[in-house]
Amino acid sequence: MNNFSKARRRFLRGAVAIGATAPFVDMVRPSWAADDIKVGFNGDLSASPSAQSGRAAIVGIQAALDDLNAKGGVLGRKLTLVVRDDLSQPPKSIHNMSELIDNERVVAVFGPTNSGNALAWKHIPNRKKIPVVGCLASATDITKPTSPSADNYMFRVGSVDRFQVVALTTYARKNPTTKVIGFLTETTGYGQAGLKDLEEVAEAQGIRPAASGKFGVADTDMTSQLSKLRDAGVDTVLIWAQGTPTGQLLRSMDKIGYFPTILTSWAALNLSFVNTAGPVLAEKPIFLQTVSEDRTPHQQAFFDRMLPKLDNASSFAFAVHAYDAAQLVAIAIAQAGSTEGSGLREALENPKKPYEGIAKTYHPSFTRERHEALGPADQKWTCWRGGKLAAYTDAVVASLKPEDFKG
Amino acid sequence: MTSTLLQALVSGLAIGGVYALIALSFSITFTTTNSLNFGQGEFVGIGAFLGVTVLYVIATTAGEAISFSSLPPSTSNGLTYPVAAVVVTLLFGVLGILLFVLAVRPFAGKTGMNWVMSTIGFGIILQSIGLAIWGPAPVNLPSPLGDDVIRIAGTGVRPQEILILVVALALMAGLDLLMHRTRVGKGMRAVAANPQAAALMGIDVSSMMIGAFALSAALAGLAGLLAAPIASASLFLGLGIALKAFSGAIVGGLDNPRGCILGGFMLGLLESGVALWNAQWREIVIFVLIILVLAVKPNGLFGAQSLDKV
Repeated sequence: MNNFSKARRRFLRGAVAIGATAPFVDMVRPSWAADDIKVGFNGDLSASPSAQSGRAAIVGIQAALDDLNAKGGVLGRKLTLVVRDDLSQPPKSIHNMSELIDNERVVAVFGPTNSGNALAWKHIPNRKKIPVVGCLASATDITKPTSPSADNYMFRVGSVDRFQVVALTTYARKNPTTKVIGFLTETTGYGQAGLKDLEEVAEAQGIRPAASGKFGVADTDMTSQLSKLRDAGVDTVLIWAQGTPTGQLLRSMDKIGYFPTILTSWAALNLSFVNTAGPVLAEKPIFLQTVSEDRTPHQQAFFDRMLPKLDNASSFAFAVHAYDAAQLVAIAIAQAGSTEGSGLREALENPKKPYEGIAKTYHPSFTRERHEALGPADQKWTCWRGGKLAAYTDAVVASLKPEDFKG
Repeated sequence: MTSTLLQALVSGLAIGGVYALIALSFSITFTTTNSLNFGQGEFVGIGAFLGVTVLYVIATTAGEAISFSSLPPSTSNGLTYPVAAVVVTLLFGVLGILLFVLAVRPFAGKTGMNWVMSTIGFGIILQSIGLAIWGPAPVNLPSPLGDDVIRIAGTGVRPQEILILVVALALMAGLDLLMHRTRVGKGMRAVAANPQAAALMGIDVSSMMIGAFALSAALAGLAGLLAAPIASASLFLGLGIALKAFSGAIVGGLDNPRGCILGGFMLGLLESGVALWNAQWREIVIFVLIILVLAVKPNGLFGAQSLDKV
């Protein structure tokens, strides 16, 4: 190689180096230091009515990180949160996921708000070996491994549709006043997945619904579908829909004066449900949530701390899930001794010590086979009373035993 | 069973009233300018939010401490809702003029369909401004007539649904009279039939076209305000409604205002009728029927029969 070529190569190398660093020379130093451990949140914070739960999750995660950082962080490093709003759109959510993992180099991700978005991108964290701990979306399939023997990076500290459906169907089966059951579901992915759970669990419990109806998420009049159920003699209806359409369904029930026993999904927690149904009709359904309104002193202290930062008190459970999820990730990092993805997954699946969280004491939080931190026994019966959430109980609820829950 | 059918009929008429009103608004611009506002859905959503804003401003000016996201029923009492309706109608009239001047007139008389893109763009700009002002969350708008269900022969209906039906029918009858009995109406019809000939007859074609867009936009804004107490005010409220209304207008015959109204009502009734059988099949049945109707009668059920000789 002659000297001219060497000089030219040196010049080119230098030029590339200057070109690559130039954009960063004047860049403001980011708020996190280079040795901080970054965790991400990807979910809806502004677009859908569920966005209030996304915002509650951010408050919960940040509270956990503040507590951890006050004690010196994990592995001697501070934890920082990188937030991405997916606007409830699957394409945006997929993009956010790659961006958080590849560009931001987060070690774990929390979220998303909507089940459909989690199902749209769950292959990404599994392929890139970055644990995701869901704290909002409840679709049953989110935490299922991509194949039976595959390493699974999808975890959840939150409610699960299947567990709710099992509990609600058991209530209907044990209720002496229930003679004829019907299903009503919305036509979105959430409603379709819920209907699948409803049908499978009903079959496992030996229940045959007399009628089943569907409605659009933007429908404002469901009297036709309800009339069909009424004509079939349905006295107990299981509803799987988001907050707003469930509210519209109750308004349509009011129109035709037909009020069967109403068992519905935890979407009724959402303020959009009460706003649509109105405080009086909102008292009709029974549903489940993971944090009881009869709070322990530990939960009450956390509630008092969170309340000023929440949009409303009804999104408290999401802050609890998010806080516990962030703490469990921090425990796993400490146990693994590194932030490397597969080691973190193994530490999450094999916790050495129990963790006394806000929702409960996790002992253990996860195993290799079980990626749900909250189980069927963590479901709390709930209703609305006077515009506020309240613990629900009656003779049927009091009589339910763990062995009753099948499916 | 009778009460079930009657309930489906009442529900179909109530939603059909909204479709008919917007179908009519499509027809008004089509018959005068041969163009449509494809941002009409966004106009409906903005109309609803503007109505909420007017009610909120009136209530807070009177010293009430209320939340914008959930207005109490008292905010729609007395004259406040009619005042909001007048303000929304007038502001949307101005908006319609702006739409015509900025997004339709530059392309009028030219070949191509540029006005399609420009009206869609106008709607998206409007919606984006709306999102920046009010955010994406739906907001409650109380009905001026209360929310108690009225029961007639076992059939339930809310006062707001009756109000929609009455206002829609009154507006349609009024516009029908305007088009057929007044000089302005006859002028508009003349412009629709042949703008050049109308201009030669001394009719101010430009004013007629501006008037048509103002009227069309005002109807969309008012429809948003009327529908909001039932569906909640949302910036995304109008898109689905406008699509159905447009379908109704096409089935009825876009160049026949009375046909558009009938088309809107037919679609509402068909929707609630199919839901009696199977709601999931509703969209499939409706759009298959629309395609069938158009295959047999390309100009819609009540559209003018045109014959082009070449």
